Amino acid sequence: MNRTKDLLTQTQADEFGQASAVLLSQGSQALPTGIKERLYAARMKALSVRKAEKVWIQKPVLASSSGTWSFSSRSTWDTLGWVAPLVVLVFGLIGIAQWQEDSRINDIAEVDAALLSDDVPPDAYADSGFLGFLKNGGIADTSSDSSSSLQSK
Amino acid sequence: MASAQELSVFLSSVEQRAFKQAVYAVRDDDAALDIVQDAMIKLAEKYGDRPAAELPLVFTRILQNRIHDWFRRQKVRNTWVTLFSNMGKKSDENDDFDPLESLSAPDDSEIHQDGGRKLERSQLLQALESEISKLPARQREAFLMRYWDELSITDTAKAMSCSEGSVKTHCSRATQALAKALKLKGITL
Repeated sequence: MNRTKDLLTQTQADEFGQASAVLLSQGSQALPTGIKERLYAARMKALSVRKAEKVWIQKPVLASSSGTWSFSSRSTWDTLGWVAPLVVLVFGLIGIAQWQEDSRINDIAEVDAALLSDDVPPDAYADSGFLGFLKNGGIADTSSDSSSSLQSK
Repeated sequence: MASAQELSVFLSSVEQRAFKQAVYAVRDDDAALDIVQDAMIKLAEKYGDRPAAELPLVFTRILQNRIHDWFRRQKVRNTWVTLFSNMGKKSDENDDFDPLESLSAPDDSEIHQDGGRKLERSQLLQALESEISKLPARQREAFLMRYWDELSITDTAKAMSCSEGSVKTHCSRATQALAKALKLKGITL
């Protein structure tokens, strides 16, 4: 019962808090001079390292009879300044890709030509028996066998 | 975006309050000054380009973080100090720590000059500050932010990184505890 009786209502609590804040504010104003000076020095130090504001500087344009033309011309050159390298870069990349593609096709053509002009037909390389024949000695062994058989006869 | 002038005005308006809040927490003037200076530098350096309206909340948050950092560092340092002091003589000096003893009394001569009313207010303030220092950290933060910094419940919750309900609870408990403690001393605000 006493506990409930001692508790402040929300309004009373708010009033108490506000009265406390007023008292605390008055107390904080009466700080010793040494503390105030050190706080001032700290504030100055903080302000000296303040984050700089972003300043937007507009380029001045001379107002004259040819002002519009010169502004337009400058703008065109400015645009060309970044568009031209971009165009060169794109065409360069396309050229490199084209050259690589041609080079690859030429390599394949050379291999195909070599295969087709060889004594052994290309189908033989797909034959497992032919591969086994190559592994077991190939043409050299066969020729030596045939010559030895002729001599025995 | 806050100009240099606005930032200066803001800092000058909160520096003394921030110092007192730090003192209530760490109970050491030098440490409190260091904390306030760090908070002000951090605010100017990192958030100096924020709008002036955002500065109070940002500064409060930085200040509380700096106070928490100080306690963390103290905890680590005390661990080592305790470790080495246990190797030597046994010391129980800090066991009977009384916050009342750590508070410096105001200059008596000034009090006598301004009369009994100022003395009364000074004693009232001393008692209040003493009781605020005794509050649990979260309750003290909530109470000071809500009533002294005049932050809303939402902003206080943001600054304390907790829910609005927690802020209300901490604040209510702090107010009840303070009112009860002062009533026991015969003080009514």
